[in-house]
Amino acid sequence: MNAVTAGVTPWTVAKWMLALAIAVVALFPIWWMINVVFALPGEPVSLNPRLWPTSLSAGFDKIHMIFAETGYLRAYAISLLYAVLTIAGVLLFGSLAAFEFSLFDFPGRKALFAVVMLSLMVPTAVTVIPTYLLTARIGWLNSMQGLVVPGLASAFGLFMLVQFMRAIPKDMIEAARLDGASHFQIYWHVALPLCRNAMVTLAILTFMQTWGNYMWPLIVATKPEMYTVGQVVGLFNSPLSHHTVDTVMTANLLAAIPPLLFFLIFQRKIVEGIAMSGSKG
Amino acid sequence: MSLRRHLPHYLMIAPFMILFAVFFLYPILSGFYYSFHDWNGAKPPEFVGLQNYEKILASRDFSRAMGNLLIYIAITVPLGILVALGLALLVDSFTGRWANFFRNAYFMPVVLPAFLAATIWRWIYAPNLGLLNVILGWFGAGSVNFLNDTGTMMYALIAVDVWVSAGFNMVILLAGLKNIPTELYEAARLDGANKWQQIVHVTVPMLAPVLFFVFTYGLISAMQVFDKPWLLTGSSFTSYGGRRNALLFPVMDMMGRAFGGVKFGEAAAYGFLLTLAIIAITAAMFLLRSWRERR
Amino acid sequence: MKTHSTLRSGAAGIAALVAMSMAGIAAAQDVTLEYWVYSDFAQGEALALQQDFIKEFTAAHPGVTVNIVGKGDDDLTAGQVAGAASGNLPDVFMNAQSVGAQLVEVGALDNLYSKWMAMPEAFRAQFDESALAACMPRPEELYCLPYTGFGSLLYRNLTVLEKAGIDASVPPASWADWYAQMQAVKAAGLYAIPDETLVFNSIAEIYATSGSTETWGFDWENRKTRIDPAIMTKVLQKFVDMKDLNTGTSRNDQATKDLFISDQLAFHTVGPWVNPTYAEAAKASGLKYDFVLIPGDEPGKTGGIRSYEMIGVAPGPNAEIAFEFAAFITEKAQMARWAKLLSRYNANAAAMADPDVSALPLIKVSVDAAHGAMDVAAPYFIDSVPSCYNATVIDFASATADGEYTPEEGAKAMIEELNACLAQ
Repeated sequence: MNAVTAGVTPWTVAKWMLALAIAVVALFPIWWMINVVFALPGEPVSLNPRLWPTSLSAGFDKIHMIFAETGYLRAYAISLLYAVLTIAGVLLFGSLAAFEFSLFDFPGRKALFAVVMLSLMVPTAVTVIPTYLLTARIGWLNSMQGLVVPGLASAFGLFMLVQFMRAIPKDMIEAARLDGASHFQIYWHVALPLCRNAMVTLAILTFMQTWGNYMWPLIVATKPEMYTVGQVVGLFNSPLSHHTVDTVMTANLLAAIPPLLFFLIFQRKIVEGIAMSGSKG
Repeated sequence: MSLRRHLPHYLMIAPFMILFAVFFLYPILSGFYYSFHDWNGAKPPEFVGLQNYEKILASRDFSRAMGNLLIYIAITVPLGILVALGLALLVDSFTGRWANFFRNAYFMPVVLPAFLAATIWRWIYAPNLGLLNVILGWFGAGSVNFLNDTGTMMYALIAVDVWVSAGFNMVILLAGLKNIPTELYEAARLDGANKWQQIVHVTVPMLAPVLFFVFTYGLISAMQVFDKPWLLTGSSFTSYGGRRNALLFPVMDMMGRAFGGVKFGEAAAYGFLLTLAIIAITAAMFLLRSWRERR
Repeated sequence: MKTHSTLRSGAAGIAALVAMSMAGIAAAQDVTLEYWVYSDFAQGEALALQQDFIKEFTAAHPGVTVNIVGKGDDDLTAGQVAGAASGNLPDVFMNAQSVGAQLVEVGALDNLYSKWMAMPEAFRAQFDESALAACMPRPEELYCLPYTGFGSLLYRNLTVLEKAGIDASVPPASWADWYAQMQAVKAAGLYAIPDETLVFNSIAEIYATSGSTETWGFDWENRKTRIDPAIMTKVLQKFVDMKDLNTGTSRNDQATKDLFISDQLAFHTVGPWVNPTYAEAAKASGLKYDFVLIPGDEPGKTGGIRSYEMIGVAPGPNAEIAFEFAAFITEKAQMARWAKLLSRYNANAAAMADPDVSALPLIKVSVDAAHGAMDVAAPYFIDSVPSCYNATVIDFASATADGEYTPEEGAKAMIEELNACLAQ
């Protein structure tokens, strides 16, 4: 499919134009927003889209103001910790359970798995209030464990990992067992490396979800010391805010930077990691 | 003896299952319990039988929200995947630095917080002088009030949706594409298949598991759509759904009833009606799949 | 986890506990008050002033600590409702009077009546009468102290008016006058006004040009709307008339503000929070604008809405000291400083009458605007408004403007639908 560059054909030209056009559609709105941030307050934003930033210093002033006046940096740390702990927990507990559900048989396996899958159909909005009341009763409000623990048993994560682990050939498991590997060793040395692509995908998904999660931190972490990035941004987003729109946009743009860096730094690893698992196929 | 033999299995699933039972199963069951009660969170719940369910089923907002949801998922899920697949194939046809560039560019919208994406698109959609209307104006079209004209609101939402999610699905599909052995394409080419036939007969079948995953995930998220329509319509707990409720969706209505009207019992009942709908739609899909496979 | 660390700290921990409980006896008021405010109040110079208030209060009340926490509009409500359910309410908090009923329903608001009556007459006489009355749904029930608030204003772009050949030196005296100006603006090829049918509050603002608090809001006893069909017919006709003059964007949209800033929109009816944006634009691009009262049907009548934020106190062991704090910050001395610093209107009438405060142009207009305006969802604190209510008002207003109903039919159908919604 690739590496068939035999001169410039109309097809190649069309392909490049299309690819570039889509890149403009994807990127221009973001570029536009950056221009809004790096502009003086009070300039119109939705009309006559500005193509270039007009005032770099105004933008940096705003960023500085936001860092100085809100707990933005602390919120970065909280959100990052929240995301990392959640990813670690979801991957560990999910893969342990998926290993069993996908590769072994034991009494109750089908029933337990069916219950978990059924819970996938229940919208998370249904459980927010009861989970919140439970968390409050345990005394976990305004704590990291209150943010993280209730989200660790991800039914979706289990579903996804089971889908992938099913593809692991049973004889590989048997072979490892004959070599004298313990049950846990088989999980750790055989199953986990084989579903690395699924784990990477699940990790990105979980990162995006925790980073963007709004409702749960909002009611569980009510103290400013525990605010996540989403909540700090929420302070700027109220419709009757006295802030000018460029300040609001700055607060929002800052929230997008960590996920952006995360992707740009790891994108090669992510895609290669996913692609390298050529063991099946 | 048999317990001893199975013990390792139970130990391995125990952490997940315990957390699941405590933080998912228990809340679901207690939500189910509250759905038969008049309850505002503070005073003791009062049993009202099926009243909450009857009230919701009778309410016009519920049918409106469900109707909107059906149209929405019927378009946004397949369209999102088609676009993502197209992008993946396009990016895959480049190599080296340019493949990287396009992949990163297309992925960029994914990382934007929902609020940001919604705000940007509200500017783009502004009537008369918003970017999109300016471009339409070049072609002599009249101004369209995308977010307030009931005929366009749904499509305006779907466009934002695809803009945000296509990049993500593209990366997953790209990974799937890389896993397809090149020999299969060679073989197809030798059999005289053109590019399009290769896509239909090699790419799509080989991508089926990944596509199924992307589809399921997209469907589950689409059923619970909340923040984008909420923000695009400038909703708040006291007023949501946009003009003539054209962008009213079940979870929005649920949150409004819970926090705007402090009727937690009613909101829980709403959630379980939505659950039933989700089960029905998923079951229908699986039936469709097995029916197609049998054919 | 907790037990473990306590065990580890051992004897030191026990000694500390003993010391702490003894200190507790010595200073009977060793408490921390959680004080929740709109995020606007917890940022920048507003926050600095709030912290001054807190410092002064805690200096006078040794042993008391006050934590100020900012939250966005809906987040404030969600946090309070959830907190009420789990027994984790903030001790003293702001919110809009219009969500008061929900907060009473979930038991988040203490009845302050006896504490209020124990305050000196001089204190009680400071507040704006209508704002205070809104906190008292029934005799001997007081659920809040009125705090800040707004009356909606009519922002005028003077450059646009000049281009349309309108003499801007006097504000429009009546609706007829104003409407004639809108048409002149349209004739000059510019936009007159945002689409006022898109948002509940802007519909209310226009309704107020003909109606009043008595013909708006709710008759909770009979669970009916107070909207008068004759007045609504008249108002719907106004929406039809404005159909071709408007921008198609709502009063809250950024696009609306942008049109105003770039001299394409003549009028914008909205609250004072837009002023910072316009003031910045005046600095950056030379925008020429002012704010005046929204004219009503007859000269002397004012349109627009008013709405107040309140301070509420949660029931519980800290209620006494929390009320003291609430009384302190709503007092004239503090509210006058607040008004002076931020040029924002509030419900302390005595503070508004302070010559230094009433000299501020935005406050001067806001005081008159609030007096003439219509309460946006009165009466408060009785029952929560079902979500179908606002949606129905918006639906029929926009459908009538679109020509799906005549104004008369639209008003009739809207009121029927509203009564059905309230009856549920």
